[in-house]
Amino acid sequence: MTSRDAILRRLRAVKPPYADEPPPAEYLPVVPLDASDRAALIDRFVTKAEALSSVVHRCASEEQARATVLDIISPDDRVLCWDFVHIPLPGLAEALDRAGIAIAPPDDASVRVGITGADAALAATGSLVIASGAGKPRRTSLLPLVHVAVARAEQILPHMEAWIAEMRARGDNAFTDPSSIVIVSGPSRTADIAMELILGMHGPGALHIVLIESEKQQ
Amino acid sequence: MHNEAGQFIANARQALANPPMLAAVKRATDTADRKRDLAMFADGREHGEALRQQSATARHRALSQLPALLEQAEERLTANGATVLWAVDAAEVCRHVQEIAARHNVRRVTKSKSMISEEVGLNDALIAAGIDVLETDLGEFIIQLAAEPPSHIVTPVIHKSKETIRDLFVERLGMPPTDDAQTMARFAREHLRAAFLSSEMGISGGNFIIAETGTLCLVTNEGNGRMVTTLPPVHVALVGIEKVIATLEDYALLTQVLPRSATGQALAVYTHMINAPRRTGEDDGPEALYVILVDNGRSAIYESEYAEVLGCIRCGACMNACPIYEAVGGHAYGWVYPGPIGAVLTPLMTGLKEASPLPNASSLCGKCKEVCPIDIDLPRMLLNLRRDLVVQGHTPLPWLAGMRAWSVAARSPRVFDAAARAAHAVQPVLPKGKKLPLGPLAGWTASRELPQLAAQPFRAWWSEREKRAAQQKAEESDDQP
Repeated sequence: MTSRDAILRRLRAVKPPYADEPPPAEYLPVVPLDASDRAALIDRFVTKAEALSSVVHRCASEEQARATVLDIISPDDRVLCWDFVHIPLPGLAEALDRAGIAIAPPDDASVRVGITGADAALAATGSLVIASGAGKPRRTSLLPLVHVAVARAEQILPHMEAWIAEMRARGDNAFTDPSSIVIVSGPSRTADIAMELILGMHGPGALHIVLIESEKQQ
Repeated sequence: MHNEAGQFIANARQALANPPMLAAVKRATDTADRKRDLAMFADGREHGEALRQQSATARHRALSQLPALLEQAEERLTANGATVLWAVDAAEVCRHVQEIAARHNVRRVTKSKSMISEEVGLNDALIAAGIDVLETDLGEFIIQLAAEPPSHIVTPVIHKSKETIRDLFVERLGMPPTDDAQTMARFAREHLRAAFLSSEMGISGGNFIIAETGTLCLVTNEGNGRMVTTLPPVHVALVGIEKVIATLEDYALLTQVLPRSATGQALAVYTHMINAPRRTGEDDGPEALYVILVDNGRSAIYESEYAEVLGCIRCGACMNACPIYEAVGGHAYGWVYPGPIGAVLTPLMTGLKEASPLPNASSLCGKCKEVCPIDIDLPRMLLNLRRDLVVQGHTPLPWLAGMRAWSVAARSPRVFDAAARAAHAVQPVLPKGKKLPLGPLAGWTASRELPQLAAQPFRAWWSEREKRAAQQKAEESDDQP
C-alpha cells in the first residue's frame, strides 16, 4: 500500500470529527467596511498603507504620476520593470527612455528600483494584490531595495473578501491563471532582533505606491 | 528533532536561573499578546468573538471533510503543475527531500521557516546527504548559527538579547561590531541574498492549502518565503495534512485571522498564494514544485478524542498568553512546539510517557483557549491528558498515593474531620514559614510557604454556626406573643 493510501484509509476509518456541525453560513468580513463611499475607501487605503510604512503618492494626473516615478528612480539609470502593458500608466516607456533610464534584465539582482503595476488594491489593509505571469516577473517586486507599484484609484476594493468575490465572479480559472499571487502589505520587515522593527529584511525596504486618481485617458 | 519533553522540570529549573532570558521572553510575549488583542478586537469584542467562532467553524468543516479535501487538493495541485508526495512519518519526509535533491543535483538549499522540518529533523538528514542547508528567516538563521532549537513558533529567537545576537554575528560571520539592529539586519541580508541566488532548492512550509484551487499559501514578513519559492529552480513545500482548507472564502478569513493572532498585524507583509511552478512565457519562478503532505502522527490524532487540536493554525497566541510559557520560556518544553499547544501536541505526537510532565505544565487558567483564534479547548485537553497519564500508569507513585489518600478523605465526612483535626494537632510543632524537613514533602515547600490552618476547621465552624442559628430561631419564636 502506498503512503497516500495508508494515510487516506486511516482517516476514512473513523467517524470524522465535527460531522454533525452545520456548514458555515455567510461569513462576516474580517474588516467591516462601507463599500459605497468611494472617496472614503480611497482615503482609507492611503491611511492604512501609510501606517504600514508605504509611501503613497496621490497623483491627480498621469503626467504627475510619470514625473513621480522618475523622481523615485533618480539618480539611477537602470531599473527592473514589468512589461509596460501591465503597468496602468501610458507613456511611461517613453518617459523612462527620454530620461535615459534603461530596463535591466529581470534577473539582475544589482538594480535598486523595480517598477510593477498591481492587480488590485485593498482599502481595509492598505495592501496591493500582485500576480505573477508572462511579462510580470516575481522578482521585480522582490529583489530591488525600492519597489514602485503603479495603481489606479479605480482598482481599490474594500477588502480581501471583496477581491475573492471578484475572482469568483470572473470565472473558474481567474484565481489559478496566475502562477502566483502575493498580497503586499508594506515593505519587508522583521522584529526578530530584540523586537526592534527593521524594514527591508529580505525584500524591498521601501514601497512607493503611485496612485493615479484621474479618469483613464482614452 | 530530539525529544527532551520528559526533562521539563530540569529544563525549567535551568531557565529559572537565567533572568535576562526570562525578561526578554516576558517583554516579547506581553507585547505580542497586547497587539493580538488590539488587532482581533479592532472592531469591538462582539465582532472579534464572531471572527473566532467563524474561524473555528471553517477549521471544523475542513477537518470533517479531511480525506476528501486532501484528494481534491492533490488533484488540483497536480493539474496546476505541482508534484504531490505523501509521507507517513519523519523518515519518509527526509527520504523524499533527499531523492528530490539527488534528482535535481542540489548541493545548496535555502529554507524559510517550517516547523515540520524541525519535527522531522530535515536539516540533519540533508547535511548527512552532503547538502548545505541555510535557514533564511532571520530568527531561524540566528538559532541555526547558535546551534539551538527555536523557542517560539512565530518568533524563534524570542529568548535572545540584541547583544547575544551581535556577538554571534561577530564571532561566526565576522561582522564588524555594532549595536545597531538595522546594521546587523543589513549584514544578514547581504549574507543571505547571496545564498538565495546560488541555491538550487528552496524549502518552505505551508500555512494553508486551498483544496478547491490547489493553492499553497504562505505568510511571511521578511520576504524570505518569497525568495526561496521564487529564485531556486526547485521548490519543495512541507505541509501537514491538517493544513488543507475547503474554499477561497475560508482562506480569506483564516489568512487574516492568523497574523492578527500571531503578531497583531491585519495582514502579513506577504500573503502569498502559489498556484504553479514557472509557466511558459514567464521569466522566473521555480521549474519544479513539490508539495509533500506530511502525516507524522496527525492521522493518529485524527482518530483520537483530541482531533480538535488539528484545527490549530500555528499563530502562537497561546504561547504569548500563557503564564507558564512566560515563566520558563520555550526551550523547557523540550520539543518543536512549546507553550500550551506544545503541551498538548508533544504528548500526542511523541508519546504520553516521553512527554509526561507537559500536561501538568499548566495552571489551567484558560487563557490559551480564550486567545485561540480557533477557540481550541486546550485546557480541557490538558485535563484529559492528565487523566490519560493516570489511566496509563505514568504517574509518580508518591503523587498517586497522595491523591488516593485525598480521594478517601474527600468522600467521607468522618475521615475528613479526623484528618482536619489531626492537621490541627500537628500544626503547632511544624516550623512556621519554613521548609518542611520531611523527605518527599520538602520539595513542596521549597518554593512556597506552608500555609497556616485556620484557627478552627471549616466543618466545625459551620456546625457551630448552624447550632447557633437554630438556637437563635428557637429563642425568637419563644419571644412571639
